[in-house]
Amino acid sequence: MSGDHGEVQTQPMVDIHAIEEELAQVRWKLKPDGEIGEAEMHAAAEARASVLNLITVVESESRYRSITQVLDELAVHHPSRTLVLLAQEERAAMKLEAGVVAEAHLDSGHRVVTEQVLLHAHGAIAEHLASLVQPLLIPDLPIMLWWPGRPDFDSRLFNELSDLGDRLVVDTDEGFAPTDLARLLQVARRRSQGCAIGDFNWARLLPWRQLAAQFFDMPTTLARLAGLHGVTVWYGADGPSTQALLLAGWVESRMASVGITVGRVVRADPAFPPGVGRLMLYSDGSDERSRFSITKLPGGRLATEMRLGDEDVGGRTVRLEHRGAAELLAIELTLPGHDPVYEEALAAAARG
Amino acid sequence: MAQAPVLERNPLRDGLVLARTPDPCAMVIFGATGDLTHRKLMPALYNLALNHYLPQGFTVVGAAHSPLSDEEFRSQMRDAVGKYSRTQPIDSEVWRSFSGGLHYVSMAFEDPSGYARISSVLQDVDGTRGTAGNRVFYMATLPGVFTTVVRSLGTAGLSQTAGWTRVVIEKPFGHDLASAQALNTAVHEVFKEPQVYRIDHYLGKETVQNVMVFRFANGIFEPIWNRRYVDHMQITVAEDIGIEQRGAYYEQTGALRDIAQNHLLQLLSITGMEAPANFDAETVRDEKVKVLKSIRPVDVAHDVVRGQYGPGWVAGQEVKGYRQEAEVSPTSLTETYGALRLYIDNWRWADTPFYLRTGKRLPTRASEIAITFKKAPHQPFAKTVVQELSPNVLVMRIQPHEGASLKIAAKVPGPTMRLRTVNMDFFYGSSFLVESPDAYERLILDCMLGDPTLFAREDEVERAWQLTDEIERGWAAEPPPDFPNYAAGTWGPEAADALMERDGRRWRRP
Repeated sequence: MSGDHGEVQTQPMVDIHAIEEELAQVRWKLKPDGEIGEAEMHAAAEARASVLNLITVVESESRYRSITQVLDELAVHHPSRTLVLLAQEERAAMKLEAGVVAEAHLDSGHRVVTEQVLLHAHGAIAEHLASLVQPLLIPDLPIMLWWPGRPDFDSRLFNELSDLGDRLVVDTDEGFAPTDLARLLQVARRRSQGCAIGDFNWARLLPWRQLAAQFFDMPTTLARLAGLHGVTVWYGADGPSTQALLLAGWVESRMASVGITVGRVVRADPAFPPGVGRLMLYSDGSDERSRFSITKLPGGRLATEMRLGDEDVGGRTVRLEHRGAAELLAIELTLPGHDPVYEEALAAAARG
Repeated sequence: MAQAPVLERNPLRDGLVLARTPDPCAMVIFGATGDLTHRKLMPALYNLALNHYLPQGFTVVGAAHSPLSDEEFRSQMRDAVGKYSRTQPIDSEVWRSFSGGLHYVSMAFEDPSGYARISSVLQDVDGTRGTAGNRVFYMATLPGVFTTVVRSLGTAGLSQTAGWTRVVIEKPFGHDLASAQALNTAVHEVFKEPQVYRIDHYLGKETVQNVMVFRFANGIFEPIWNRRYVDHMQITVAEDIGIEQRGAYYEQTGALRDIAQNHLLQLLSITGMEAPANFDAETVRDEKVKVLKSIRPVDVAHDVVRGQYGPGWVAGQEVKGYRQEAEVSPTSLTETYGALRLYIDNWRWADTPFYLRTGKRLPTRASEIAITFKKAPHQPFAKTVVQELSPNVLVMRIQPHEGASLKIAAKVPGPTMRLRTVNMDFFYGSSFLVESPDAYERLILDCMLGDPTLFAREDEVERAWQLTDEIERGWAAEPPPDFPNYAAGTWGPEAADALMERDGRRWRRP
């Protein structure tokens, strides 16, 4: 069976064993009666690489169509068992539909098979989708939960799935209010081995963090870092403030880890596009004032500037790569476990 | 103002393990207008800058004969990067910012005043760009002038600074043991061994590093990685190209010195080495050298085959023989193919043959390490059922499609007992979305970070030359070979097949 991911045909099928059977069939191209031909036999002898289980939850068909594109881009390079849960609790009729797709992709002459299961739940059953997920996972592989948009932190589905997952991947730029950051942190700290959090915003901030750290790699500037007393982050007024809060929270929490208290300010500025537009660090270490800034330029670049006393030194320009959802998700899928630096930045950001 | 506490580390670096940034430094490139700088170094440096791997204030001082201004040098480098960078198009803003740190000194390498000019530029940038006396000296010149440049660096006092200094030397590190030792002695008059970085770009390749990960990060392979389970190893570096425009160089070199002495022996050491106690540069390199030191003296007449290609067809194209190539003698005795059988005399590998081969104008481009395991000790199945079975083979492919495959026997489904060999294939590309950086990017970064793990150490290089010299001496004692002895587009001379057949084995077709 194969088909276009965007057009998965679903059929009423609540029997989990039937889904498993169908998955086995498309995975190994086995015929239902167990007899296989020469070609299928060859296919069956091929190894299937799988690196993870990926569960993603969407609440509307339009969202489903947009994420399947991301999943398709990702599939070849992260062969995985992908479960897409289309949870529409508000629908009146209680019904569950399922569809299974396995596709073979050719990449550099190699065949990679990807599998996707769509579970479409209408009505109250949507709340209980986690019970359907467990038997469909490939054993021994990590479970990633990708939740596009803001999750309903109080819902049963979210809590059960995030308990099950090894990593929850969200984008705090999408529908998160500043107050949601504390809720997100609770997920990571819910139990001893809480679900690790991945955040597209954190990956987007990587170049900012790298450049900010590079300012202070020299012994002379390290002394100025010791005198850091303020951080200001400007963000595009048309977008959310979460990314800026996270960046400022990062500076604050890192400096707090060495006993230095830094005051932070987060400001909206219509001159910048959505997202962080400028980071400014203020120091009075080394017996004079200094200022370190990183500014987003049009055309996907970052420019750095250092002002030490009255002197401008060492400005440069580097690329600020625009990363699409597939790439951001791909980065998340390769990261191991909890990221304490992120969690501390999140905690600082959540303090508002 | 309040007294600020003293910081011992940069807390903003926490968690940025994936993005290491070296200390601010300056790189002096000797041979800055040459091919290597154009094709490899400058594109690698630009890509490192683009992805913000370079430190703030990073500076390049190019040195070469041509009279160029800084501006002319920058423009030449801009063209080179435009032509050879793996990322395109060139980001003009990033280039403008990066090229602000490019300087040029026109000099003859034997002229002391040139080094004084370099020194003065470096002192300037130490102040203006914060490079703090940290230097990388990169020898991108012809090998003939390495010694002159290194000695002059010493005389000019350039090797002594307030920061760290390192010197990068491109292969070939000599052309035999004596010249390699002479080069090492000259270098050590000025730089200590930990400051010396000998580049073999093969080691910068992701998949070569992956061989070590494959072996030492997986618990299931190491227990069978020895003489009890391994029948033999085959290491192949096959090229379909000829010698291209390098006739004069190749005439002096040959396949043995060009590929076997470095690439093949590097692959042999990482395949055969013991598990290092840790991944420190010295520990890893100690283990690699131990392998080379354990190689049994080679019986040249029995264990070595050389070849030279004649005219033939490669990939549907008729190609010249080696002796018909430009700048090659029509009676040349230079080998373009070499095959060796080596033994590593230690507990792990005693009596397990390692077959190594490399050649030009072979049917395909392929580099791989193939481990053939011994057959199962007893077959409970009928003879007819198992006679077609081939032994388990684990192949680690380095190029073109990096990955690994394992051949196993499986039952053909059905009422009768039929077995056949199937291939389990894994290729790295399918599991990682990240584009592999160029080997030079990795190695330049490692050098600036002071990590010499992937660079060849003095004793490693000298031991490899010692082995090569043994073979060269054996060849010199033999009557001249009857060249050409294989047609372009074939898998080498018949004698190479005979080498395997005597042992009841066959070369793999990669």
